[in-house]
Amino acid sequence: MPRIAEPLSRRTVLAGALGAAGLGLLSLSGCAPARQEPTIPQAAATGAARPGGMLRVARPAASAAETLDPASSLSAYEYLGALYNRLVKLDERGGTVPDLATEWSSNADVTQWTFRLRGDVRFHDGGDFTARDAIASIAHILDPATASPQAGVLGEVIDAAAMTAPDPHTLRFRLSKPNAEFPSLLAAYQCYIVPADAIGDPRRAGIGTGPFRLSSFHPAGTGSVEAVDDHFAGRPILDGIDFFSVQDASARVNALLAGQIDLISQTNLDFATARVVSASPRATVARSENAQWYTIPMLATSPEFSDVRVRRAMKLAYDPRRVVETALNGTGSAGWDNPVPPNMAAFLDEPREHDPDKARSLLRQAGAEGLSTKIYTSSYDAVFTPLAVAYRDAVADAGVRLTVQNASSDSYYTQVWMQEPLMVSYWFTGRPIDQLLGQIFRSGSSYNESAWSSPAFDAVLDDARAETNDARRRMLYQDAQRLIVEDGADMTPMFGDRLVGISRDVVNYAEYGFEFDYLSIGFRK
Amino acid sequence: MSAVVAVGRRVLIALLTIVLASLFVFLAVQALPGDVARQLLGQDATPEAVAALRETLGLDRDVWSRYADWLLGAVRGDFGVSLVSGAPVGPDLLTAFGNSLLIAVPAVLVGITVALLLGVVAGVRRGRTADTAISMTALVLMSVPEFMMATVLVLLFAIVFPVLPAVVLRGPEATPVELLPSVVLPAVVLTLAMAAYVVRSMRSSTIDVMSREFVVTAELKGLTPLQVVRRHALPSALLPVLDVVALNVAWLLGGVVVVENVFNYPGMGKLMIESVHNRDLPMIEAIAVVSAAVYVLCNLAADMTALALDPRLRTRRRTRSRRSA
Repeated sequence: MPRIAEPLSRRTVLAGALGAAGLGLLSLSGCAPARQEPTIPQAAATGAARPGGMLRVARPAASAAETLDPASSLSAYEYLGALYNRLVKLDERGGTVPDLATEWSSNADVTQWTFRLRGDVRFHDGGDFTARDAIASIAHILDPATASPQAGVLGEVIDAAAMTAPDPHTLRFRLSKPNAEFPSLLAAYQCYIVPADAIGDPRRAGIGTGPFRLSSFHPAGTGSVEAVDDHFAGRPILDGIDFFSVQDASARVNALLAGQIDLISQTNLDFATARVVSASPRATVARSENAQWYTIPMLATSPEFSDVRVRRAMKLAYDPRRVVETALNGTGSAGWDNPVPPNMAAFLDEPREHDPDKARSLLRQAGAEGLSTKIYTSSYDAVFTPLAVAYRDAVADAGVRLTVQNASSDSYYTQVWMQEPLMVSYWFTGRPIDQLLGQIFRSGSSYNESAWSSPAFDAVLDDARAETNDARRRMLYQDAQRLIVEDGADMTPMFGDRLVGISRDVVNYAEYGFEFDYLSIGFRK
Repeated sequence: MSAVVAVGRRVLIALLTIVLASLFVFLAVQALPGDVARQLLGQDATPEAVAALRETLGLDRDVWSRYADWLLGAVRGDFGVSLVSGAPVGPDLLTAFGNSLLIAVPAVLVGITVALLLGVVAGVRRGRTADTAISMTALVLMSVPEFMMATVLVLLFAIVFPVLPAVVLRGPEATPVELLPSVVLPAVVLTLAMAAYVVRSMRSSTIDVMSREFVVTAELKGLTPLQVVRRHALPSALLPVLDVVALNVAWLLGGVVVVENVFNYPGMGKLMIESVHNRDLPMIEAIAVVSAAVYVLCNLAADMTALALDPRLRTRRRTRSRRSA
């Protein structure tokens, strides 16, 4: 899921009310530091954890249709990393590192990849993990009946017949076209490995090789997992995790403040709420840095933005640093319209210029001087409206007049997204570089939210995939970023830190992209 | 004879109300942007997947034939299966309704009793300190939205003084016993929100009745103030308040969406929000029918109580028909 749905639109109102009431009451009762604005901590607490304990997590469940099938678009996200492993995972810089596979290599023209798998891994039901399970799990993703979100990305280079197992712990892929970044595509959170004979059997759902085994699971309700003592990556610090579904964001915050839970998952607290939480004696805020990738797609097929000069003007006109200050109170970093987060190895560090006069003259050339249109927002995410307002104010210098239009949050992504010429949107960061560029920016991709189509960009991407030299491939991916910054239609004003509500007793919380460290997290000694 | 006709008419109108409510809700859901296929699959959906799901769910058929099918099923007591979970609607709705009753019944019993008492006290002691205190409090409670009240109570009793749980962590699978500690705060919020209205209307009704001639007569007869109020004023003063009580009880039983949501309480209101979000039509329809039935029953009960309290109402119809004859 590129975004986790926030089903209720009143959450901002409630959180705002909570914020106001909370600040008042907390300071009345002497809990808040006197006359000092609570600041939001920069990093999660680390330190020695005491072995054991049950972590209580409040999560927004997608719906009663959620499932433990990792390939499905309705998967219960928080359980996946606890229950399962993938062949490979991503490190913080976007590099591919071992999980169930220990090493991998390709042939000279990167059309064949061979993965060596661990031989010491057992599923929770006692069965041995072999290449057969990996083949079945990936074939299940590719199966059209599964309708997996990752099917398109993988289906571009492999089909079920492309996978073979020369021996039980070797897995070979024959790609239909060269792809030097193929292993990174297997790091997606749909690619968790399940036993071959458990696929399609709801009674065996949840069996994996992960550090926790399933104790119970109620869709949109509660669930529990317990630590596996002899896990190949070591025993987790915790004894187990209890998951609770709490739909309303302010109810999740209340539960945290009352000490009923220890962690709120998949929830970016708005700044006011984050301050209340930081001031609480029981809870605090941890950051998942740059986890929220905010975008302003200009629909390239719309009359307003089909002209590249207009799109360039819309970028030159604003200073993203100002937007970060206004919309995020500084809890993030400026994007400069480059969609690659600054912490990734392939990041192109060349901030574009900010020049409202040049923007004005470009608009004049395009016959769009004094451009006036609507920018859509909704309460889907707490930052959307601040972002739309900050962008509107920022481009006013270049004579662009935007009207902020609020749309219903529960149909924002079905009625406004990819249909209105200008809107604010977001994704979670955590895609490997090739998937990020290919999925969101390649012509015709179903996630290409700005409907931008550039043959030059597609060609650079193809060249990068076929390039086996790592340094040269990185340069090609940087060329692709340059094309997006100059010609693209999907602006990236900023990356926001996800402000995560967490108990003061929890240490070693670490989450980046779609990776969560389930092994080290624990309670303070 | 005419009583039977009258009751029959009431029942028919009640049934018609429920059917009309179900029709309007059905049409309203059609008018919402997006359908269950889109809402469920979200933006991960490929057009093919959406089309396939629509066909499986029968969403490609026209509105009227789908409504007719639903109505035929509902008449036979079959409310269909949830489009989201695939499970029959009935059991899930019953659980949620039961949970809602768990907070609504104490709220009704306590709230109505206390509110009526306070209303009478305020009315009788009109203009005195007691009246001012009661009226002001009621006015404040009426003006504060329920979610605000809920948030303040959570802050006080769950966060600053942690004696009660802030939210319900267990989902629909929770047993009533497990829910009990979590029942207190939502029930208190509902009680306060509802009682304020009843206090206000009971107060004005009491003031009105206390100035009538028959009350003055009773006072002049030398009855004690308590006797005057209990035997003479109260029965008449209650009559106009009954409708207010009925409406409030129905509002409460029909699922107090906001309150349940703030507390993550697995009742009918929360189920409704989720069903509307997912465009889960069979579940929304079943909730609409239950809510409409509750409204109808509450109003019916109010009318019946009015009949029992006031002998004049039982005879009015006959008197009028004789006059017009």
